[in-house]
Amino acid sequence: MACAQEAPARREASEPGVKAAFLYKFASYVEWPASAFAGPNSPFVIGVLGAEEVASELERIVQGKSVHGHPAAMRRVKEGESLAGVHVLFVGRGLMNLRGILRGAQQPGTLLVTDVDRGLEMGSAINFVFADDRVGFEVSVEAAERNGLKISSRMLNVARRVVSR
Amino acid sequence: MTFQDHIRRSLRTRVMLLVLVTTVSALLLSGAGLVIYDLRSYERQWTNDMVATAEIVARASAPALAFNDRRTASGDLSVLRTRSRILGAALYTRDGELFATYQQPGMKIPFPDHPEPNGYSVAGDQMVVFRRVVENNEPIGTVYLRTLYRPYDRLRDYLTIIVGVMVASFAAAALFSGWLQSAVTRPILEVARVARDVREKRDYSLRAPKSTEDEIGELVDAFNEMLAEAGRRAEAMREADRRKDEFLATLAHELRNPLAPIRNALEILRLTKDDPERSRVAREMMERQLVQMVRLVDDLLDVSRITTGKLAVRKAVVDLQGIVRDAIETVRPFIEARRHVLDVRMDDEVIRVEADRTRLGQVFSNLLNNAAKYTHPGGRIELSVSREGSAAVVRVKDNGIGLAPESLGAIFEMFVQVDRSLERSQAGLGVGLTLARRLVELHEGDLQVASEGTGKGSQFTVRLPLALGNLAKDPAAAAEAATHPTSRRVLIADDNEDFAASLADLLSANGHDVRVVHDGQQALEVAPAFEPQVAFLDIGMPKVHGYELARRLRALPQTTRCVLVAVTGWGQEDDRRRARDAGFDRHLVKPVDPRQVAAIVEGY
Repeated sequence: MACAQEAPARREASEPGVKAAFLYKFASYVEWPASAFAGPNSPFVIGVLGAEEVASELERIVQGKSVHGHPAAMRRVKEGESLAGVHVLFVGRGLMNLRGILRGAQQPGTLLVTDVDRGLEMGSAINFVFADDRVGFEVSVEAAERNGLKISSRMLNVARRVVSR
Repeated sequence: MTFQDHIRRSLRTRVMLLVLVTTVSALLLSGAGLVIYDLRSYERQWTNDMVATAEIVARASAPALAFNDRRTASGDLSVLRTRSRILGAALYTRDGELFATYQQPGMKIPFPDHPEPNGYSVAGDQMVVFRRVVENNEPIGTVYLRTLYRPYDRLRDYLTIIVGVMVASFAAAALFSGWLQSAVTRPILEVARVARDVREKRDYSLRAPKSTEDEIGELVDAFNEMLAEAGRRAEAMREADRRKDEFLATLAHELRNPLAPIRNALEILRLTKDDPERSRVAREMMERQLVQMVRLVDDLLDVSRITTGKLAVRKAVVDLQGIVRDAIETVRPFIEARRHVLDVRMDDEVIRVEADRTRLGQVFSNLLNNAAKYTHPGGRIELSVSREGSAAVVRVKDNGIGLAPESLGAIFEMFVQVDRSLERSQAGLGVGLTLARRLVELHEGDLQVASEGTGKGSQFTVRLPLALGNLAKDPAAAAEAATHPTSRRVLIADDNEDFAASLADLLSANGHDVRVVHDGQQALEVAPAFEPQVAFLDIGMPKVHGYELARRLRALPQTTRCVLVAVTGWGQEDDRRRARDAGFDRHLVKPVDPRQVAAIVEGY
């Protein structure tokens, strides 16, 4: 029988850094409809709401990168701001009206990512979880599809929990 | 025997060697080519396969690497357990840290601390592959694969196959050469064996067996035909040998036969000096025996001429009846002695043929002699001379012992005598008919024999072409000359005094004027004054020999027209030619026939 062994764990990067990296990486495993972009050179926008540490990490990460052929960009989003042109929206955990924000953020072409318990149940497509001393995530295929997005099965392999219809 | 000798001597070995060398070199060449090609393509294929595997692993484990999920990464790697040749695998993070590993159960392989760039390397029987994991055009880690790489296993398999094919080829070559031996070498060896047997046993009836219709079969046929031919020749040689042996025995006997009566006669002469009558009888007996011996020796010379092909005739236009009459006179004593009746019928008209008088006479006397010999005493011999169309025909028929049909052809062969039971004193040498036929042929005629069978007599027929012109001489004048011999001046030069004296006596008795000298010098001294009309010159004389003497006499005005006759013990054609060249008109061989001498002197 094959035996797999884990390599010795290395010191984890800072949690906001890991989350920022994951946010950027999620984009590779999700398919957006062509209508989500204004033009071939319009940017791929990752919006961050209420998580400054993640925002600043992410800002560094996307520098000079591109996603699906579009230059990647990070945008700090404020509550009540228009979400037009935002492809990924990360909503931090310290917000009061999380549920309301999420509801308002539901729109085609936007992938909602949360970082709270029962995040998926509140309507996000991906929710960060922390277990076994490392950052993981869970996925709701249903929520993504509602907004017209397809999540790659390769990513689902790595997810802690997958919710589908 | 060295190996080279063996190869040179055995066709089978050569063929087998050829097949083997061809097969082995073809196998080795093609095998080597295939192995090289296969090892290269094996390496390429295996490398491609491993790179593809690494690529698949990279793609599958990209999310696990991206999202730092070691458990999933390990699970992804463990899929490789289905590939038994992959000994181990590992994933490294983008920073080069070991992220997840896999190794085959029971294996303990060291993983490198740091990943290397894309590529592969071979070490021993293992291959190591590194492959970058790329997601969204960014390297996020490295896949490491360690696999078994054993091209030599394939090499070994190939060698096994080649050796197997070689063994099969050897077997095929052995079978093939075996077959070839039965088809080619065996018949040839058989021919060689028969040839050896024939040589050892002298048995020409042996034949090589023929088993095929191909080129070998032709060889066997040709060989057998050659054997048959060799057999026929050997048989012919044996037969010729046998006849020669018989001939020698006969010759010895025949030569010895007359000696006893001659010795007796000499004794009688010695004892009866005073009794002229008994002396005469003894002399006559000696004369007859001498004639017999001379005939034998003449026959011998003729045999020699026939076998060397030097029998020649000198032709002139002659009358056939005259020749036949002479022949009858020669044989008549013998015919009368055997109490035969001789019935002669000749055309009145003179038949002229172009012939050598002496030689043609010999033919007829041989035929008559034969008829008399092979007819029981008191028989009947018929002889006829006639003209049939453009041919002159002479028939000699007897009622004697005849011939069996199968002997008809054989009697003309040299030394053949049909009836050996005959009284030996009459047997002769068995060359008479051979000589007769040869002589007739030299006259452009032919000699045939017919017999109705043994005991029913036989008939010999000579056909000769008629002469175109008339007889050269006027017959009346010839008769005149024969009946009225005139006196001639004759010179005899011979160092054998007895011979010279006896010849002189003979000629003097016929009324000729004879001078005798005993060497060439004397002859030259006497000749100018004596002016001989005919000269009998010995060849082997002291001082001046016959040939030289003839040349000098021809040069003298007094003897330039003299008839020169060479008298020698040598009658070969070569001697006759030398005599002619020296200027001689005639050539006589000792002992000379007195009648011939008379004919020459009187014919002048």
